[in-house]
Amino acid sequence: MTQVIDIHTHPAFFEPICSTPEKLEQRQLAMGLYKAGSSAIRHIHNQMNCAGIDRLVLLPLDLTTQEGLEVVSNEEIKQLVELEPERFIGFASVDPFRGDAVEILERAFNELGLAGLKLHPARQKFYPGCAEARQLYKVCLKYNKPILFHSGISLEPNTDSRYATPFQFEEIALDYPKLRICLGHFGFPWVRETAALLLKFPNVYADTGLLYFDSAYEFYDQIFKKELNLTWIDRSLRHQVMFGSNNPRFEQIRMVDALRKIGLRESSLELILGQNALEFLG
Amino acid sequence: MFFIKSIQLFTEKYNQFIVITEQVREAVAESGIQDGLVAITSNHTTTGIMVNEALECLESDIDDALQRLIPEDHPYAHARILRSYGSTAGNPTGHLKSLLTGYHCLFPLHDGELVMGEAQEIYFMEYDGPAKRTYNVTILSGS
Repeated sequence: MTQVIDIHTHPAFFEPICSTPEKLEQRQLAMGLYKAGSSAIRHIHNQMNCAGIDRLVLLPLDLTTQEGLEVVSNEEIKQLVELEPERFIGFASVDPFRGDAVEILERAFNELGLAGLKLHPARQKFYPGCAEARQLYKVCLKYNKPILFHSGISLEPNTDSRYATPFQFEEIALDYPKLRICLGHFGFPWVRETAALLLKFPNVYADTGLLYFDSAYEFYDQIFKKELNLTWIDRSLRHQVMFGSNNPRFEQIRMVDALRKIGLRESSLELILGQNALEFLG
Repeated sequence: MFFIKSIQLFTEKYNQFIVITEQVREAVAESGIQDGLVAITSNHTTTGIMVNEALECLESDIDDALQRLIPEDHPYAHARILRSYGSTAGNPTGHLKSLLTGYHCLFPLHDGELVMGEAQEIYFMEYDGPAKRTYNVTILSGS
């Protein structure tokens, strides 16, 4: 079995970067995770071990122009990666409307050594095809870095799904065929649209960070076997779906377990749980 | 006289049995109280405090019995997003197992020693781990 990678985690409550009550409260409100507590790295290890996860992709969030804050900064991501380089993979975030957005992203790749870019159109309030975002896509192409987009509905505060429906990303897939992009949360609830984009564009990926109703197994059963057909994933899209938990909003341990039980071929599971993430990360 | 000590631990498994008798005895010794009543309580709703014999075979049987009574794949109502948390409540089995083993136990304290049967051990029971957990050793002095 190759290593298991969770492509979609939010480290806002990791203790080394969330050590004061004020910061904890600020992040609870900013993330809409009102009872989350700070998590010691020891607990993160225990959780990863229990779930059988080898590496986490850590996502920051820059909301400078919309809300006047960085929920988690690129520097904090670098700090965490330096603590656990074998376990953590850090992504960058940049608000596309910042005047210095390109410089910030260049620095994130050049100086901070971050591995990709996270963008959140529904929270950062931009359409994926806008000029401000396109200049960031060119930086990612220049450095051969992937982009993980929030896609679909978001339960975070101040979010507007119209910016993040899956078909908003079609022009990006069309215009930048060498840019690897991932539609987070499988674009829920527009999962059939997401599946159609994956079918059409080999450079488009999706992650499994969706658990909006029921238990992990019940929801995956509904999405991947009823809304979609499991054979669509198992036969046609198996190189483009990646395990992502969206932890701490959703449950890492039970989500991995549900994926393992849903009925995919073992070779497809290996792709989804880790190999595809390695391809995506380049 | 009243004494309370809160003890934290990091659990490592989804379901885990942890013998805490020695930690409780240490807290009792720390208190200096000779006679009274000792209460061991958990701060959580998906853990338990259990008294039983610390045998591997019994732990296996208890775990098996709890899983048979409260299986993971039942359609629980508590499997949903909680708006007040902003996250999923995926731990109904933890809450129900906690109900069965309870969140506390009591022992008499006499001459500075817990009055326990030879086979009795105190367990902290994790039903929704891994997690950072807290239990309390509280002593009400009889003198």
